[in-house]
Amino acid sequence: MTETAETMVRMGELAVSKTPGHVLASIGLGSCIGLVLVDHARPRAGLAHIVLPSSVNGADAGAGKFADRAVPALLERMAALGAMRSSLHAVLVGGAQMFSLGSDSSLDIGRRNEHAAREALTAAGLAVRAAATGGSNGRTVRVYVDSGLVTVKEPGAPEVEIFSKPGANGRAR
Amino acid sequence: MPKTYPEMQLDALRELANIGSGTAATALSSMLGRPVDISVPAALALPIADVVEATGTPDAVVTAVVLPLIGDLDAIALLLFAPEDAATLCGLLGVDPDSEVGLSALAEIGNILGSAYIGALSTMTALALEPKPPETATDMLGAIVASVLAIGAQETDIALLLDSELTVEGAECSLSFMLAPGSDGVDEILSRLGLAG
Repeated sequence: MTETAETMVRMGELAVSKTPGHVLASIGLGSCIGLVLVDHARPRAGLAHIVLPSSVNGADAGAGKFADRAVPALLERMAALGAMRSSLHAVLVGGAQMFSLGSDSSLDIGRRNEHAAREALTAAGLAVRAAATGGSNGRTVRVYVDSGLVTVKEPGAPEVEIFSKPGANGRAR
Repeated sequence: MPKTYPEMQLDALRELANIGSGTAATALSSMLGRPVDISVPAALALPIADVVEATGTPDAVVTAVVLPLIGDLDAIALLLFAPEDAATLCGLLGVDPDSEVGLSALAEIGNILGSAYIGALSTMTALALEPKPPETATDMLGAIVASVLAIGAQETDIALLLDSELTVEGAECSLSFMLAPGSDGVDEILSRLGLAG
């Protein structure tokens, strides 16, 4: 990859960008979810680093921390940047179960995060176009603002493209 | 309201970590038959967005042993080894680091050090604590630390982490021992020490 300006989106944060050449990244997503929104018609991208499914008892949280709040918050920031809701694609990365921590399934935060993110996206009328979720490996997500390209890197593996905006000839699934 | 910890409370937690990691170092030393040094522990109370980088390079691959603690409070003990240090430790124990046996040797080190650490913590605070079986993972530091911290992040945006470094003398080998109490757990520890906020 060429040298580009990268914005790190850390636990509980969210960021949007329309800057050409800009990259949004979350390094080392484990049970956390990287929620990506890209506008297929213009260079607009957003990334939220979701930590937990829902904001019950979490009044003072950062905008990206909880899935149920991160989706509307990211949509609002994207709209403020001039993205069109009808041309947004959602991509989900992360939600792994790094440790089983006994048999208590309520501790599978990764799975619950993914479920909550999908629910919030559905409620907002957005479809998930691509996902690299579950399993037990950590992942790094990068979103390239210009191209709308979304890549995932797992430890010891190369950076892999999981989503690119549909070209002039057709729509991506 | 975001939770903060005054310096006096952080000092007390640092001292707990110091005694806990000292006990763990003694256990490691008798297992390896070599002296083990400990650093002055850090008591990190940081916004969750900042805490991963405070523990190291987020995309560095590390081997982790996770030891959930149950009893009077919930907490997670986390041992982190750089790959070369994990290999050195396995070498000192005479096992192949790239095998199942190597990983279970590291898990056993985690178990013994964790038990020593929380034994000291229990004695000082009169809290009954016991470790659950250890689990291991080799992955990005950020993914491991964030997944542990997420468990206690529901009600607070401040993560508290007690971070100690143990170094095996003459073997160029060190490991990090971290204790991540949930926010209720920290309050309980502080109140046992007469330092409730």
